[in-house]
Amino acid sequence: MSDETREGSLSTDETPGGSSAVAPATADTVIEVDDVNFAYVKGKDVLRDISMQINKGQVTAFIGPSGCGKSTLLRCLNRMNDLIPTAEITKGEIRILGTDIYDPSVDVIELRKHVGMVFQKYNPFPKSIYENVAFGLRIQGIKSKSVLDEAVERSLKLAGLWEEVKDRLDSSGLGLSGGQQQRLCIARTIAVQPKIVLMDEPCSALDPISTTIIEELITQLKDEFTIVIVTHNMQQATRVSDRTAYFYLGELIEMDDTIKIFNNPSRKETEDYVSGRFG
Amino acid sequence: MSQTAPTGDNKPNPEAGSVVFKRKGFQFMGLGTQDFIRFFFGGNASLAIIILILICVFLAKEAFMFFPQHHAGLKDYRQSGQEFVDYIGDEIGAHTNLYSSANIAYFAEVNRTSREEDDILRAHRAVLANLENLTSKTWGRFEREVDALEDVGDDLEDLDPAKEEDQPKIAALQEEKERLEKEIVKFRVELKEEVSAAINTNEAWELGVGSDAPPPESLPKLREAVLFEASPEVDEEHPYIAELKAVSKAKKAAAVEEFADFKATLKAMQDVVRPLKSLHSEIRSIASENKAVLVKLSTAADRKEAWIKGAAATKDPDEKARMLAEAEKVVIEAPDYDAMAEPFYEVIPEHAALIAPIDTEMAVLFQQLPDKVETRSAHENLKRAKVYYDRFVKTVAENRENIKGWSHEKPVSAVESVSSFLFGRDWITNSSWHDVYGLLPIFTGSLLISIIALVVAVPFAVSAAIYVNQLAPLREQNFVKPAIEFIEAIPSVVLGFFGILVFGETLRVVSQVEWLQWVPGFPMAERLTILNAGLLLAFMAIPTIFTLTEDALNNIPQALTENSLAMGASKLQTVFRVVVPTAVSGIIAAVLLGFGRIIGETMVVLLVAGNKIKIPDFTEGIGVIAQPTHTMTGIIAQELAEVDAGSLHWRALFMVGMVLFAISLIVNFSAQRVLKRFQKI
Repeated sequence: MSDETREGSLSTDETPGGSSAVAPATADTVIEVDDVNFAYVKGKDVLRDISMQINKGQVTAFIGPSGCGKSTLLRCLNRMNDLIPTAEITKGEIRILGTDIYDPSVDVIELRKHVGMVFQKYNPFPKSIYENVAFGLRIQGIKSKSVLDEAVERSLKLAGLWEEVKDRLDSSGLGLSGGQQQRLCIARTIAVQPKIVLMDEPCSALDPISTTIIEELITQLKDEFTIVIVTHNMQQATRVSDRTAYFYLGELIEMDDTIKIFNNPSRKETEDYVSGRFG
Repeated sequence: MSQTAPTGDNKPNPEAGSVVFKRKGFQFMGLGTQDFIRFFFGGNASLAIIILILICVFLAKEAFMFFPQHHAGLKDYRQSGQEFVDYIGDEIGAHTNLYSSANIAYFAEVNRTSREEDDILRAHRAVLANLENLTSKTWGRFEREVDALEDVGDDLEDLDPAKEEDQPKIAALQEEKERLEKEIVKFRVELKEEVSAAINTNEAWELGVGSDAPPPESLPKLREAVLFEASPEVDEEHPYIAELKAVSKAKKAAAVEEFADFKATLKAMQDVVRPLKSLHSEIRSIASENKAVLVKLSTAADRKEAWIKGAAATKDPDEKARMLAEAEKVVIEAPDYDAMAEPFYEVIPEHAALIAPIDTEMAVLFQQLPDKVETRSAHENLKRAKVYYDRFVKTVAENRENIKGWSHEKPVSAVESVSSFLFGRDWITNSSWHDVYGLLPIFTGSLLISIIALVVAVPFAVSAAIYVNQLAPLREQNFVKPAIEFIEAIPSVVLGFFGILVFGETLRVVSQVEWLQWVPGFPMAERLTILNAGLLLAFMAIPTIFTLTEDALNNIPQALTENSLAMGASKLQTVFRVVVPTAVSGIIAAVLLGFGRIIGETMVVLLVAGNKIKIPDFTEGIGVIAQPTHTMTGIIAQELAEVDAGSLHWRALFMVGMVLFAISLIVNFSAQRVLKRFQKI
């Protein structure tokens, strides 16, 4: 199927067999996915021939129907899939800031400090708000109260939560509302100042008002971080992202500027999906 | 839709609306099948509750009847004068404790000088005995031959060589004699070879362990001596051994000379208390007689009551009349309590006159005990003597008031009958003197064993659970988890068996190893100790704590772990900063339930704890764990079958059960509270 409509792709090449005809990485490119195959169980590739580039300071949305591999790819970017014993990249390379992150010399823990992640289900630790935000710094061994105070305040402000919680930093993070908890998780992630923030359907468990707040937050954050967001909600993709990648059955069908993807996609499958005829 | 059209299996009905909503199926008194099933299960649940309530009620009824009976017992104890006698007995007991500690110290010092010789002699005896065991078969045959030879010699003497008819017999016997003599020579050689072969085995060469082993330079000579004495021709001691014995004897004599002062002090200590002892035994017999009178009185009342009750129950008028007559015959005559108590009041000034010089003289004598001693045993026993001396002084001071103010008429308060049970320091039953039911010895026993068990089990179980749940690879998990949980399936009596035979003995042997002597309580003299029971109970509690902790860790959402890892935390940081703190309530609950299991365990402690009903001697510090003890569960299991239903002893055991019940209740309740408290965060 993808062979027939190949000419539409601009920034990616998803030719089966992976000739890796990717446009050369520019200075702005922070994530390069180069002809990657990925399998949870040996012999069953769930991602095939994925190649893409993600640029600095942009919000990139991954869309596609359930099971298309968008979350899997996202979790490849900070090697969260390492937790599954048999999962591995069977082909290709993922380079972040120029380094092949699956190289044996890479320290996963260092990688994750630079590539933070916000999950679908907000999950603050059962600690105080302050300790939640300070967690990332504490595990890096930072003990100085002033550094921690400063980082907590900055991160909560960035996450737009400061005004709401500044008087109860010592109360449990679990006492907040759903939207607040998700923003607390975002604050916790950005407190360690990662370069890249991965978001796996961050709003799917939230009500519309909280969703709006988080979406605004995402657009503000892109000045400081490169954001990759997986979403089921196509309106959300149009609202928050600069570029959009459409996945289907483990393959990257098309990746382009969000406006183009939603208004004038190059590929028929993309058009079917974004127009709601399918998916 | 047509109302009457028969569609599918629905029966046509003129009123379609009511058909749809009407209940179908089995109905009885307006209740359907579902309701009956519900009631059935509900009934089962409430039956369990009812049984629980019944257990509580009956346990409580039997147990709390203890206090009135106990109260009566205490009253008898006072009126008979036994209480008074025991005050003096306490003083003598305190003195005896002090004296025997000092005495042990004395002998340790005296034997110290000849210790090396004694060790060699002991090893010599041991090796000889071992050799004899190993070569017993050949020895037996050898001795039979020797006996046979003697018999032949006797027979020969009986025969007259001059007589013609005896000649063939004599010839035969001579031949036999020669044969036997040859045999014996052969056996001698054989035995000698066997002995020298056996001495090279480890079994024979067991010289004692740790500090008891003889010095290595003595071993060649020891070997020579043993070989010499084990050989069949020799009957006397090897000169080396004889010399050692003489040296040991001389050294001991010298030491006795050296410690003459010490000995004199000890003797003076014993002498000074002698008059008090004779006074004590004198009034003790009076109190015993008084007690017998009181017991007779109370049994008479019981008998009378039993006759009257029996009469009320029978229908036969003759029988009834007979029973009433019997009841009439039982005379209940209150004794003259004042007269009974009279001798004790007379003793009060006598005692005061006796105790004052004892007190002052003991102070002097105690100071005369040597400060500096060489052996560890003497040092420890003198330290103990110091503690006992302080106790002695305290006892004398307290009892002076008690004896002066003693009155047989002083009523026993209800508080006293309760507190003497809960805080009583002795548990003495079936005694000809006075039965005492004090909870403290068995309570401390249970508590000490539980503490050891918890201290050992908690780190093991919790860290094993953390490892298995969080860090172990799947294959290891699948092996370790069932293995630990299998421990739970071992019947406790089997474990107790193992504890006596294997674990206890191993522990005892290990405790004798020289470089482990710094461990408090080592070397251990006993196999059945608090430590042994505690360790076995720890073993039993590990699966409980492990499983529950593992469950608690399992309940931590995977997402929390992922979040932490995604923040760049290492696996260990995730475990110790996120997972374990989140599961801490579950872990605490697991530990409390483990404690419940430990305190309620019966069989193992009954088999392994040593069953000595005495408050452990805390003067040894942590070494207290090397002593035997008894427990609350053990004492119920051991004694309940042997006591009369309704007796004071019987009820006392029920009371112990009540206390256990209360402890379990408190533990479970607090486990639940802890869980709730932490779940809020």
